[in-house]
Amino acid sequence: MTDLLRILIAPLVWLAAFISVYALHGLLCALQMHGMVLGIPLERLSLVTAYGLAILMQIVLLLAVYRGWPLAPSSEFVRFVSRVTGWTGLMATIWSLLPVMMTTSC
Amino acid sequence: MRALTRHRKLSAIWASEEGFKGWFSTVNHNDLGRMFLMTAFLFFLVGGLLAMLIRAQLATPHSAFAGPDIYNQIFTMHGTIMMFLFAIPTFEGLAIYLLPKMLGTRDLAFPRLTAYGYWCYVFGGAMLLVSMLLGIAPDGGWFMYPPLTGALYSKGINTDFWLIGITFVEISAIAAAVEITVSILKFRAPGMTLARMPIFGWYALITSLMILTGFPPLILGSILLEVERAFGFPFFQAELGGDSLLWQHLFWLFGHPEVYIIFLPAAGVVSTILPVMCRTSLLGYGWIVASMVALAFLSFGLWVHHMFATGIPHMGLAFFSAASTLVAIPTSVQVFAWIGTMWKGRPELHLPMLHIIGFFVTFIIGGLTGVMVAVVPFDWQAHDTAFVTAHLHYVLFGGFVFPMLAGIYYWLPHVSGRKRFFHLGELGFWLIFIGFHVTFLAMHWVGLLGQRRRISTYAPEDGWTQINLISSVGSFVLAIGIAIVMLDIILHALAQRKTRRNPWRAGTLEWAMLLPPPAYNFASLPEVTGRAPLGDDPKLANALARGEGYLGTPRNGWRETLMVDVASGRPEVLVLFPTNTQLPIAMSAVTGLFFLSLLIKVYWVTPLALAGVAALAWRWIWQGGRKNDLAPQTVRPGCDLPHSTAVDRAPGWWGSLFLLIANGTFLGSLLFGFAFLWTIAPGWPPPAWVDASAIEVGAGLLAAGTSATAIRAATRANDAGRPVLPALSIALTATLAMTFCCAALLWRTPAPTEHAYGATLFVLGSYGLFHTLLAVLMVVHLITRVLLGYTSVARRAEFPIIRLWLDYIAMIVALILLIGHMAGWFA
Repeated sequence: MTDLLRILIAPLVWLAAFISVYALHGLLCALQMHGMVLGIPLERLSLVTAYGLAILMQIVLLLAVYRGWPLAPSSEFVRFVSRVTGWTGLMATIWSLLPVMMTTSC
Repeated sequence: MRALTRHRKLSAIWASEEGFKGWFSTVNHNDLGRMFLMTAFLFFLVGGLLAMLIRAQLATPHSAFAGPDIYNQIFTMHGTIMMFLFAIPTFEGLAIYLLPKMLGTRDLAFPRLTAYGYWCYVFGGAMLLVSMLLGIAPDGGWFMYPPLTGALYSKGINTDFWLIGITFVEISAIAAAVEITVSILKFRAPGMTLARMPIFGWYALITSLMILTGFPPLILGSILLEVERAFGFPFFQAELGGDSLLWQHLFWLFGHPEVYIIFLPAAGVVSTILPVMCRTSLLGYGWIVASMVALAFLSFGLWVHHMFATGIPHMGLAFFSAASTLVAIPTSVQVFAWIGTMWKGRPELHLPMLHIIGFFVTFIIGGLTGVMVAVVPFDWQAHDTAFVTAHLHYVLFGGFVFPMLAGIYYWLPHVSGRKRFFHLGELGFWLIFIGFHVTFLAMHWVGLLGQRRRISTYAPEDGWTQINLISSVGSFVLAIGIAIVMLDIILHALAQRKTRRNPWRAGTLEWAMLLPPPAYNFASLPEVTGRAPLGDDPKLANALARGEGYLGTPRNGWRETLMVDVASGRPEVLVLFPTNTQLPIAMSAVTGLFFLSLLIKVYWVTPLALAGVAALAWRWIWQGGRKNDLAPQTVRPGCDLPHSTAVDRAPGWWGSLFLLIANGTFLGSLLFGFAFLWTIAPGWPPPAWVDASAIEVGAGLLAAGTSATAIRAATRANDAGRPVLPALSIALTATLAMTFCCAALLWRTPAPTEHAYGATLFVLGSYGLFHTLLAVLMVVHLITRVLLGYTSVARRAEFPIIRLWLDYIAMIVALILLIGHMAGWFA
């Protein structure tokens, strides 16, 4: 099962991050949280922070997959597939949450 | 032992009852797979007939063929039948029939569950067909949006048929998904590592995991809408704190992954057949596995792209637009791998290959229009027009029906053991291909000219007349093509020309057996050393028939197979399957009675039916036990394995694990709904909050912790040979205390008919109460088993299973009590 988890973990974390950021966005809009921090609108800052954390998490996962942490994969096949899905998680996070940097929030 | 003697002995052990009676008592995957496929094909014919009626209606303006009321029922039933009664069950049937053979085993993990799922499908589907015959079929569109489908605007029983019938059918999907997942992970041939799995196994595994996590939101949505209609709980009524958008979120949380749930098995068929047709191996096996994992996950992040026109903020739209464009990449990886496979090999244009080419052309066009509607400004223009209908048919017909037709022709000799004689299939293919493209290219066009979906008629001055006529003519050509394929298959079944073994010279294990396959599949189980076992060793079938593999000697009338380690495929456990029984059909009939009582609102029957289901489930579980220890059995010279009652991870543990994943997704969807209504829906705050009680929360948390601790203590005591009843008594007391705390939360909940807050909290509390009652039943069951001598130090498998369930129930009870009561405190 650890092999299966290794393959699935990065896309799973992407899904969790994607839904969390979407939920955060909905919450910020619903609660109408306005205000500025360091000259940046509060809702933008929150979303960009969440975006950054999501990317960071994917980078950590990718490193873990490459280093075979916490357990080494049982085969070369599992190692290869988990690396591809690791990159998928990172790229999907960067691309699908990119709108937090670019569009109006509410 | 001679091969013929072995064959006779195994046939006697594994055979279903003879004649008509055997249909109702069989638990064999060969029978049930064929029954699933035949039933699904019958539904396909009904759905196709309805499509012809739609095209007859739209062929001319101001058509008098059907009035709007009947037309609404026709298109709703067409979509419903094709999605729920044809596409998903076809995958289930194909997987049930093929997987054990491809994986090199004798049956699926839970044979009785296969039968139960099949009968739930038949009874649920029949319920919907009866509604159609009575003229009271669902009429709110296959996605049943409220408020149109709410009690105010859909007063009859039509919508209830959909909500209750589909929920009943979905039991079958969940059952099949659990079955397939556990079978792929644990019931493979020895030596079949993850890297050596047939590619269809990977597709089926990913699809099943998607069903387990994709269907629960729809089951929840259906329950909520039915409860709203029947009892007035306002989940989707904006004036009482509900929101009709919640339905759209729940529906499309299911609905978008559903598209990939339909596509992925078909892609699995393509990936299996294409290399055989090209006389080569599949290019980029690892890339394909990775891309299907990516596709599966990405598909869960796209649901809002069906809701672009609902007024969601721009950034929300942009998230889903970006994610929607992203799915093109893993899909393309697969398409390029297939093209590369053709490039690498020497394609032979047999009939299955023709359908695969039809798939390529059609699906790629559907994929491209998919990218178009993923872009928000384009979607706003094309939303709810015939363009979208055309797009989805390109994806679903192209991405599912063509590969399935390829699959039918590829595996037909396997199912029948016969050769094709009359070559009508080629004509059928061309008529289907041409008819399909005439129908749906025209539909793209008329959609761009502004024709809306689901309209029952239009005026001549709209300028759509010729295009609709062309589209209708195309659809009848398509129907003739399907009829010719059907005729071809019937003639095939009647012709008496035996096929040779492995007629396509394929490398996968399903061809390493007699054709048509015997009930036991393999006389002995193979040791797998590569991805194409039959390609590596063409004499494998003879060796297996001579009993040179595992379990080659039939004994004690046992239906034996092996469980293996997930990653390495190392044999771990000997499993004895149950024999023929009518218990599954009886249980699905009583389950049907439960749903029927809700449908016709005879509520006094509902608890009786539930008690009946519980009693039959008890009997079901009871049959699996032993009163004496079974020593490790020799499965091959030099390899002795323990029986599945004597291990910590028995098949039941694995089945429970994946059922709980589906269950957890259901709860997650409910919590999402609660949070969504609270933050987004108008009409909040509610008039009254729950009267929170710190004592009840504390007691509930203590009980949850105690039940988890007590079942662990009981497990340890059993392993050490000490008395287990003291710890089990504590577990029983703790589960009863959890039941009381959940009942108390329901008692404290504000009137559920007055506001969506009370309604949602009531459902949350009911979910907790149902599970705590289940926990009580499970602990009582275990105590009874202990008292009657069904457990011992060796026969310990039931303890970890009950422990898994109690852990889950303790966790959700703690969560529900905290969320339920904290809402009151915060308010």
